[in-house]
Amino acid sequence: MMNSLFAQTVIAYLLIFAVPMVLPVLFIKMVGLSGLRALVTYEARDTPLHKLDPRLKVLYPIGMGILSILFTWKFMLMVFGLTILPWFWLRPSRAKIKVLMVMIIGPAIAGFWGQGLYYLPPPPIHFLYQFPWTMAWLGSPGITSYGMIFGLQQTARVLVTVSTSMLILVSTDVGDFTWAFERFRAPPHVGFALTAALRFLPEMITRVSLVFRAVELRGYDMSRPRWHQFNRWPEYAKRLSRCVILVTVPLLIGTLRGTATMAMVADARGFGATKRRGSLRTHKTTAVDIWGYAILAVLVVGALVLNHLGIGARYYG
Amino acid sequence: MSEARTAGELRADDVSFAYVGAARASLRHVNLSVAPGEVILITGASGCGKSTLALALCGLIPSRVHGELRGRVMFGATPLSGMKPHEASQLVGMVFQNPNLQLINQTVQSEVAFGPENLALPQPEIAARVDWCLDVTGMAGMRTAAVVTLSGGQKQRTAIAATLAMRPRILVLDEPLSDLDPVGAQEVLATLQRLARNGGTGVVVIEHRVDEVAPWADRVVLMDDGGIVLDQPPRAAWAEPGPWRAAGVGIPDMVRLAHAVPGAFGSRLPLSVVEAADAVKDTWFEAALAAAAAERRNAAGVPAGQRPDPRPPVLSWDGVSVEFDGKRAVDDVTLAVDEGEWVALIGANGSGKSTLTGLTVGLGKPSAGVVRFRGRPVRPGKVFDHAAHVALLLQAADDMLFETTVRKELEFGFRFRARPEDPVLDVPEAVEFFGFAGREADSPWELSQGGRQRLALAALLVGAPGVLVLDEPTTGQDATHMRSFLRLLDRVRARTGITIVTVTHDIRGLASRAARVVLLGEGQVRADGPTSRVFAMSGDLIRWGVLAPPLARLQSELLGPAAGDVLLEVDELASAVLAHRRGTARVTSPGSGVLRP
Repeated sequence: MMNSLFAQTVIAYLLIFAVPMVLPVLFIKMVGLSGLRALVTYEARDTPLHKLDPRLKVLYPIGMGILSILFTWKFMLMVFGLTILPWFWLRPSRAKIKVLMVMIIGPAIAGFWGQGLYYLPPPPIHFLYQFPWTMAWLGSPGITSYGMIFGLQQTARVLVTVSTSMLILVSTDVGDFTWAFERFRAPPHVGFALTAALRFLPEMITRVSLVFRAVELRGYDMSRPRWHQFNRWPEYAKRLSRCVILVTVPLLIGTLRGTATMAMVADARGFGATKRRGSLRTHKTTAVDIWGYAILAVLVVGALVLNHLGIGARYYG
Repeated sequence: MSEARTAGELRADDVSFAYVGAARASLRHVNLSVAPGEVILITGASGCGKSTLALALCGLIPSRVHGELRGRVMFGATPLSGMKPHEASQLVGMVFQNPNLQLINQTVQSEVAFGPENLALPQPEIAARVDWCLDVTGMAGMRTAAVVTLSGGQKQRTAIAATLAMRPRILVLDEPLSDLDPVGAQEVLATLQRLARNGGTGVVVIEHRVDEVAPWADRVVLMDDGGIVLDQPPRAAWAEPGPWRAAGVGIPDMVRLAHAVPGAFGSRLPLSVVEAADAVKDTWFEAALAAAAAERRNAAGVPAGQRPDPRPPVLSWDGVSVEFDGKRAVDDVTLAVDEGEWVALIGANGSGKSTLTGLTVGLGKPSAGVVRFRGRPVRPGKVFDHAAHVALLLQAADDMLFETTVRKELEFGFRFRARPEDPVLDVPEAVEFFGFAGREADSPWELSQGGRQRLALAALLVGAPGVLVLDEPTTGQDATHMRSFLRLLDRVRARTGITIVTVTHDIRGLASRAARVVLLGEGQVRADGPTSRVFAMSGDLIRWGVLAPPLARLQSELLGPAAGDVLLEVDELASAVLAHRRGTARVTSPGSGVLRP
């Protein structure tokens, strides 16, 4: 009996902690800071997607995001599938695909697992694995099939936004975003904030990576224990958190210096001098744009109609 | 002065400026004028007020940088000091040192269009300005390129183009060459000259690299302690070395040589290698130089390609390749560094220098080959383990400081690692040796930039590493700081006998000090040998994006392949030439060298 309870507890602990421990490792191994940099870096290429009307590109994630809220999970997965299709058109680099896969699969597993553990449907509950009392006191009675399905549904909703936003991010020059925002009568500061963020995010990631290297070069032990050296992991976590505090000073100083220069440059180039900005960009609407607008409109209107008719609509209450 | 001349002229009239809270003024009674089409070189020791003057000249003082300003900066009859930055920038444009911080947009053309767009100009006008700016800076072919993919020179030229798009009459550039390799620097200087000569733009270049700017400048301004010491045409400015020595600022090598060998270059002070070579062609100087070179050749003893040290190398790269996104940054490099050697790795930006040295501490992973430290393979990713043996000083030394006091900084490495049993330099000795006595309790951030670099170096050395790897340690430093850093390295070597590997663009200073130079081009070793021999290969160096030091180029220009092992110190060259003129030759001993095709 004790053996059985012990075994059940071990299995339960493994089930609860396996995913939270595997996901960061997966992220560090497969993506890391350099991967993250690649993800948010614009790839200048000559594809129809790059030439698409920037306004349509801004509307696309918003439109698809709305669709993802309206539908039940089966329809939801269809919407998610639709957002994958333009990626084949874009043909991103292998490095980007690798990072994207992790960024999609990681949250999917996390959502799927988290909801499976903690989402409790009304009884009768179908447990895939029921935890013993030694584990259940933590708040989860076990892994439920319904919870996992619910998790998948929630994750897919998030992934629709992630997939559409990433597609636009890697195929659109920030200047085009700014242009689109200005056409939508948004204040120039919105475009500038986005421009500065997207331009300097890769630089910031590079800098963080550099300072973490520097701290190791100075003799700070950042070496990770092997997965089975359980007694060394708490010490490693402590070292890691101390290191974050250490690197803050050079990061902060470097960032403040850079920001001061950037602010002077923006001032000198006349940012904020006029309420309405001019634009180098002129966009002549092409057949691809028209098709794009039409498809997006059909999808959104179709979704609203279906929702009104109760087909695939989410149940509230 | 005529009305026509003053109309487009930038003037600083008795300008003094003190930053908020500063005890001393950074600028003191500065008077300066810049006419359209003029190229002015402003130089001086670090902290002499050059960058502050630049900010004042373009109106960012006092509008964005606050403090107490006296005197006035005028463009023609218009005072700049009271203008808004975007108004002033249409008269005087400013290009900052680090192009990464001033390129806000993602592509070249959107960066250049940013200013005119902010001015709400009509689209055809914006397009015309973008076209002109990209054309004049030679960036037209890269208009849709992403900024992150540009080289240093291309980024700086994009920054210039973006500043020019505001249509300034005067362009002020604060150390535009400091992060650039020699080829990138020449690209930028050629652009500036085109602007001045063809476009009539006044150009003010603030720079430590006087050798490269000297041939292009119409006037040279020397600053010291916030004031202007000297403001003259280049030949007049350098006719008397006294003020330069007093200000601790270097002068071009050709000028120094002309002073060291009086009369050899005629009455006209040479500012460039070409001018110097033209002046001494078919004269006694050329004959004496040839005789000295022949004598050195005859004295050469060690056969080419032979490693003089029979001990195993301290560092070695065996058939090492590194790939990033399918591209080879390092391509099948085989190299060995012996105990106690001082080796300089040179090459254009992106030639693989930093990647190669990073591998010695486990930064990065070779796609092929092995890197070894004293025969043991370096394991990728194990930076903490390898950093105990190989100390890597990053270019941004500030990024290597993490503690609150100088002493804690020096002790930092012993948190996780035992103190060396027999340190060549322990912490109290390092405090003395590196000049921190009495400042142990100070914050590292209270030290000067040079002081912070010394501290980072000291903190690495107390760990008793076997090799010191320096990544661009002299970038942006003035001649005095560079000399004192080189002296410090000499003292460190004399004290510890440590092996030094430097990655550098500083061909004239740091690379010339090394005993051996390795030239990298497109990830491969293109030349490897004694410094004096590799720098004689001017043509090969240019092919791989490197300019030999001016003295080496002069010898190659005059003697061709017969130059052999070139002399790299002005005094050394002057003595050799003068000795042969008198028929009393001195012999220097060159080493071996191998040129790889």
